[in-house]
Amino acid sequence: MSVASKAKRVISDQRVILLALTVVLFLFFGFKNSAFFNTDFVLYPLLRDGAVLTVIGLAQLCALSIGHLNLAVGRMAAVAALAAGSAYQYLHFSLIPGVIVGLLAGSILGAVTGLIIVKSQVNAFIVTLAMDFALLGFVTFIYVSFTGATAAFITKPKGMDYWRNTSLHQYCIAKLCGPSVFPMMLIPSIIALALVGFLFARTKLGRELLATGSNLRAAKLSGIPVDRRVIIAHTFSGLLAALAGVMLAFTNGSFTAAIGSQFMLPSFLGPVLGGTLLVGGSVAVLGTFIGTMLTLVIRQGLSVQGIGLETLNIALGLVLLTALSLGQIQKMLVSLRMRGRG
Amino acid sequence: MLKTFFQHRMTELSLTIIFIIGFGILVATSHGILLHRNSLQGFLTYLAVPIVIGMAQMVVLCIGQMNLAVGAMGGVSSGVMAVLMAQHHYPIWLALLIGFLVATGVGAINGALVVLTQLNGFIITLGTMTILLGFQYRLVRSFTIDGYPISLPNFGAKSVLGFPLILMIAIATSVLLSLFFSRTATGRRVLATGGNALAARLSGVSNNRSVLIAHTLSGALVGVASIITIASLPGINRSIGGDWMLSSFAAPIIGGVLMAGGTVAVYGTIVAAGVVRLVDIARAQYSLDPSIVSLTVGVVVLSTVALSEWRRRRSERAREGMKVSR
Repeated sequence: MSVASKAKRVISDQRVILLALTVVLFLFFGFKNSAFFNTDFVLYPLLRDGAVLTVIGLAQLCALSIGHLNLAVGRMAAVAALAAGSAYQYLHFSLIPGVIVGLLAGSILGAVTGLIIVKSQVNAFIVTLAMDFALLGFVTFIYVSFTGATAAFITKPKGMDYWRNTSLHQYCIAKLCGPSVFPMMLIPSIIALALVGFLFARTKLGRELLATGSNLRAAKLSGIPVDRRVIIAHTFSGLLAALAGVMLAFTNGSFTAAIGSQFMLPSFLGPVLGGTLLVGGSVAVLGTFIGTMLTLVIRQGLSVQGIGLETLNIALGLVLLTALSLGQIQKMLVSLRMRGRG
Repeated sequence: MLKTFFQHRMTELSLTIIFIIGFGILVATSHGILLHRNSLQGFLTYLAVPIVIGMAQMVVLCIGQMNLAVGAMGGVSSGVMAVLMAQHHYPIWLALLIGFLVATGVGAINGALVVLTQLNGFIITLGTMTILLGFQYRLVRSFTIDGYPISLPNFGAKSVLGFPLILMIAIATSVLLSLFFSRTATGRRVLATGGNALAARLSGVSNNRSVLIAHTLSGALVGVASIITIASLPGINRSIGGDWMLSSFAAPIIGGVLMAGGTVAVYGTIVAAGVVRLVDIARAQYSLDPSIVSLTVGVVVLSTVALSEWRRRRSERAREGMKVSR
């Protein structure tokens, strides 16, 4: 392959375009208002939010990989935070076992959702929407009936503040310390990215998930146990949603029913911007991270400029719709070119 | 004949019975307070919005899609009405008309975007919902707008023979919608698209047109719901529409509309909205936590979906069995 065609491929890669756009916007906001480059108040929280939202994006990506949607990501995150929070509050669990309880709750919920989809043959987005409604009431009900007016579990396990407040800065090798802008919260996120990336790029299971997503019948005929793959995809989705929920609870410092209520839009923004197809069969793991960071740069950048919540919403909605339309235009151009050749 | 009638009307019939029994229990346990003029009036008045937003969701469900933006559209359009009347002193009819057109226009935009991108309406309306929430907050800010002419709330409080006028508007709208689906060719085409898009296309139905019509109609119905809202509430603030989503899905799904598309159930949706309203009343009466309502409704929706799918599959299997025996 010549250098030129290689370069062309790199430039036309959606992720590269996305990354360039993120960097340009980042610099633009920074030069417009230098407060945007403030480590403690802007960049550190931005990366910390990015860590949480990347994981929720990955949760959605697992469902998207088989061509399903998971509209209950936010509520699954809430249930996981509920499970972890109550384990800390009533069973006095320490940090890691509590997280494991949360992750288990999310995985079980995901598996049950997958099972319902497979057994009832109802469209996934209907099942997950109904699940979302049922869990919405359940979570609030549990919080209110157990904790009364506070509606939150406030017991903080030992070590929680470490995860929410510190950065790599305290780790030094000789004189060289980590950057203070790098939140500890980014570590579970990077691990999740690596594992999900490995799953889809290197393992048989990942390829079978993608095959199920791109053509269910073909996958079935080639001997892939598609029902089990659907359940597994939703279990992963629940697991990652749970991780995001627990991470958000740690970031906020409390376990409340509101956790996950803002997850739906970001869970789609990251993967969709990154180039994950809504119809299944193709995922963009690293793209999810870049897409999430792009939306966060826009969000934080605008809010540093003193622009209110309402404009942020408008901007993010427009970004989603534009990304979707661009994807469609791209597809149309490709098919036109193909037709021209034929 | 009678048997098939009951089979087809099973959902509606059982919902009606549940509604009557539930209402009876509530009347009995409240020692008849529910039958007093004021509480009955309140019950019926606040039934109007759930019915109309249920219809707004139903017309999109019937093409196998969904409209996540019903609440945000209602918030924006009622916000537009309130701002025009209170701050710009538009005449009531003009403000209501503009608000209605805004909702209808947004519905048309939703439909156009779905047609252009060929994506499911769910993700498109997720986008427009976010944008509209932004506009709603911009429009209403954190105030309660209530500086509009008193004749509007007066109109909202009117009743004919003890029956609130706005509930009549809601029911009249539903009847028109029912006629649209049962009597007009356009309505039939929309249903055909929802039932089987490929078959519809092969028989000459433009699916894109059906999608556009369904979403536009959904917007228009949200516009009606906004008019009802502004006429029946003392003021408009940014919370309007925030709790519309669950009830907009609950009424049609419980009422027997298949989420896969191809069916409408106008009467079922109305009765289901009534049953949901009863749960709400029961909550107030026994002073339970509000979350119990969404829990109950959510569980009922989930089990309705599962049950209807199970019934559909059973009937399919029965049909296959018949084919074999022939």
